Amino acid sequence: MTFPKVLSPAAPKVPSPAGSGLDGVETLGYPLGALPSVRGPPRAPQIDPTRCDLDGACARECPTGAITLRGPGQPPGISLDYGKCLFCSLCVDACPHQALSSGPMEEMAVLDRSDLVLVRGAPTPAGAPHALREDLRKRVGHLFAGSLSIRTVDAGSCNGCEVEVGALSWPRYDLERLGIHIVASPRHADALLVTGPVTRNMRLALEKTYRAMPTPSFVVAVGACGISGGPFAASAEVEGGVDRVLPVEVYVPGCPPSPLALLYGLWLALGQVEQRMVSGELRSPPRS
Amino acid sequence: MSIPTREGEESPPASPPPTLAPTGDVWRRTRAEEEDLLLRLGLGPTRWSLGERMWWVSVHPDGWVAACEQVTGPLGHPLSTLFAEDVQDRGGGVQVHALFLGNDPTPGVHLCCPLGEREPKLPSLGGTLPYVVPFEREIAEMFGVEFEGALDRRPLLLHETHPRPPLRRGGPSPPSGVRAPYAFTPVEGEGVHEVAVGPVHAGVIEPGHFRFQVLGEKILDLETRFGYTHKGTERLFEGQTVGRGTVWAESVSGDMSVAGGVAYAHAVERALDLALPPEVEEARGLLLELERVAFLSGDVAGISLDVGYAVGAARANIQRERAYGLLQALTGSRLGRFAVGVGGFRRPLALETLDQIPGILRDISEAIQALFDLLLDKSSVVDRLQGTGIVPRWLAEMLHFLGPTARASGLRIDLRADRPYGAYHGREVRVPRGLAGDVLARLTVKVQEILEACRLATLFHRSLNGGVAWRVPVPAPNSSAAAGLGWVESPRGELLVYVQTGTDGRLQRVHVRDASFLTWPAIEFAVRGNIVPDFPLYNKSLNLSYSGYDR
Repeated sequence: MTFPKVLSPAAPKVPSPAGSGLDGVETLGYPLGALPSVRGPPRAPQIDPTRCDLDGACARECPTGAITLRGPGQPPGISLDYGKCLFCSLCVDACPHQALSSGPMEEMAVLDRSDLVLVRGAPTPAGAPHALREDLRKRVGHLFAGSLSIRTVDAGSCNGCEVEVGALSWPRYDLERLGIHIVASPRHADALLVTGPVTRNMRLALEKTYRAMPTPSFVVAVGACGISGGPFAASAEVEGGVDRVLPVEVYVPGCPPSPLALLYGLWLALGQVEQRMVSGELRSPPRS
Repeated sequence: MSIPTREGEESPPASPPPTLAPTGDVWRRTRAEEEDLLLRLGLGPTRWSLGERMWWVSVHPDGWVAACEQVTGPLGHPLSTLFAEDVQDRGGGVQVHALFLGNDPTPGVHLCCPLGEREPKLPSLGGTLPYVVPFEREIAEMFGVEFEGALDRRPLLLHETHPRPPLRRGGPSPPSGVRAPYAFTPVEGEGVHEVAVGPVHAGVIEPGHFRFQVLGEKILDLETRFGYTHKGTERLFEGQTVGRGTVWAESVSGDMSVAGGVAYAHAVERALDLALPPEVEEARGLLLELERVAFLSGDVAGISLDVGYAVGAARANIQRERAYGLLQALTGSRLGRFAVGVGGFRRPLALETLDQIPGILRDISEAIQALFDLLLDKSSVVDRLQGTGIVPRWLAEMLHFLGPTARASGLRIDLRADRPYGAYHGREVRVPRGLAGDVLARLTVKVQEILEACRLATLFHRSLNGGVAWRVPVPAPNSSAAAGLGWVESPRGELLVYVQTGTDGRLQRVHVRDASFLTWPAIEFAVRGNIVPDFPLYNKSLNLSYSGYDR
């Protein structure tokens, strides 16, 4: 599937002189250019099935229950849900067989919730059919590829996601260069970016904001909380994920997802890139 | 680094009379003098609480108000936090705890008031200490305690009724789906109209509701309502292992993840009587100061943006990105999450970029300084900041505002200097102070704090060059219950985490008091006489946490 590329890659980055931050180009080329290298230790857990002996040490460590072992009476297996994962690496450290390692987490956004779930030791269940979504996605890409207006709603986040969504407007990420704008009112918006586990106290405001958007529109669930309730899923005060309340088109995992991950998620929503994460496995990026 | 002394190691001075003379802004007494004064005021018997580093006194409900007035009056400590705990499983009802932090070396006081199991009641402190009203409203809705004589009995964080108070023991108490009645204070008169803002705001910020009463262009009154981000976090701690509790401590306010993690870790480590090597604390100090640089640079950017000066915002946000880049390089998380843990760190820091840190911090310092000069050079910027959103000193003192807000109003309060913890023992921390209490004063204080944070981070970075023992072994929880208190000067001010472990070594009660909880009322006063369109400016200059308030 191809869409007309309405934008050309940004100029290559000129290293800015030390100090001022006044000269040179601060802004990244991504997602038009290549994914920049990310400093610091990677955080996304990956399971090596040849080493895993299903002893469950990782599952016991996981604070959000993202890792589960198949119960007794079923064929042995383990599943890892990146929609619940906080990328805290506790599971990686807990495994006595070094079956878990850490990988990058920037391009993990998916259109289908089930694509965030990795299942090992049993045949992978077939994902939901993409046909309908593909149709919608084409329409969205056609309508909004050159200009997308976003309204964000914090449905009870810890404000970590707000830092990163806000960072999209900083010079380094500069969302507007992609024709994407964060607007003040849902009446002006094509898409709703929702963070937080949807608290009981925010549910009504979230629904009203959604209804105030003109159609066609779509919803992006941001972060572990937005996807699954994250560490708050067990609380009686939260609904436990945006898709319990609204139809969600794109899921961007992370705690919080980095600005790069959010850029990728939005670019995916616009049909400008192929989804890399399929059934919980990150495929190598397609050649353009 | 001096680890706070253990009980018995410190011999009380022979017989110096307890002094009531203030030194500067604060009262300073030794631990023994503090106990002596407590006993002379009739507050006893006292017990030294090692995990909290303060004197513990049990108080009868009848003497509650008098005891609190003694501590805030003659002892001179403000009430730092008020919370309750259900102790049914230990043969009691509800206990109400009031913590009064002292300035080093004065330890401070923990007043504990056991209430009956049925229909727990306590006289309200609202008459003498107006800033305790939100605390009492929260305890009333979460534990079903009735505060006699309370003027404000509206719910605080819960918008729906609950069949049982949700923090009482005996299983979860989900919201009923029925909205609890809530009345805003009406303002009447010819030409007075109401402007309702929120919970969904125009910017990328958290949800909260603001109800303005406006006459013409002038704001007569503002009432805030929160609770929209209430996630029942304090309940989620219960029953968890002490190691895992970090996850929720870091999620109380995500832009202060490191501060939350360190405050929680300190609370548990003090409860377990665990001392860390100085280099571990200094590594934590490095993360704390980097977080402060990033956070406060964001405030400078926000203030600049809200007066329509986009260039300033862009330049400050470049510095903020640099600071988050450093946190990411060290921890793998831009917000410094999942790094700090009980007993040190959860994972070793990545030290490949360690030698670049001083250079980058120097660049940030210079860029922020240059930006500040630029802002002050623009009359159109200064005009919007000067005399706007004033929080007078008397108000900041009376309502116990914290952090940069209080400092900009002239109070010299900073836990790093007043009650040093971790890496700040024996370390000089320069505490900036404003006078006017307006947006310009808050901007000035925040700029100075960025420069000071860069200086401290460079110092802490130096002591890491020798490598660090990342984690000390955490002792297996023993069978006795223990309490611990963690305090950290977060970018928003004093952050407190109180931890009570049970006999099974798991978390029994965790209470988190963000600086925002005490400081939010500042906005209701700062806006009076100002205009509604400037509201984003007052809000950004205070930059308080909704999630930290609601939890």
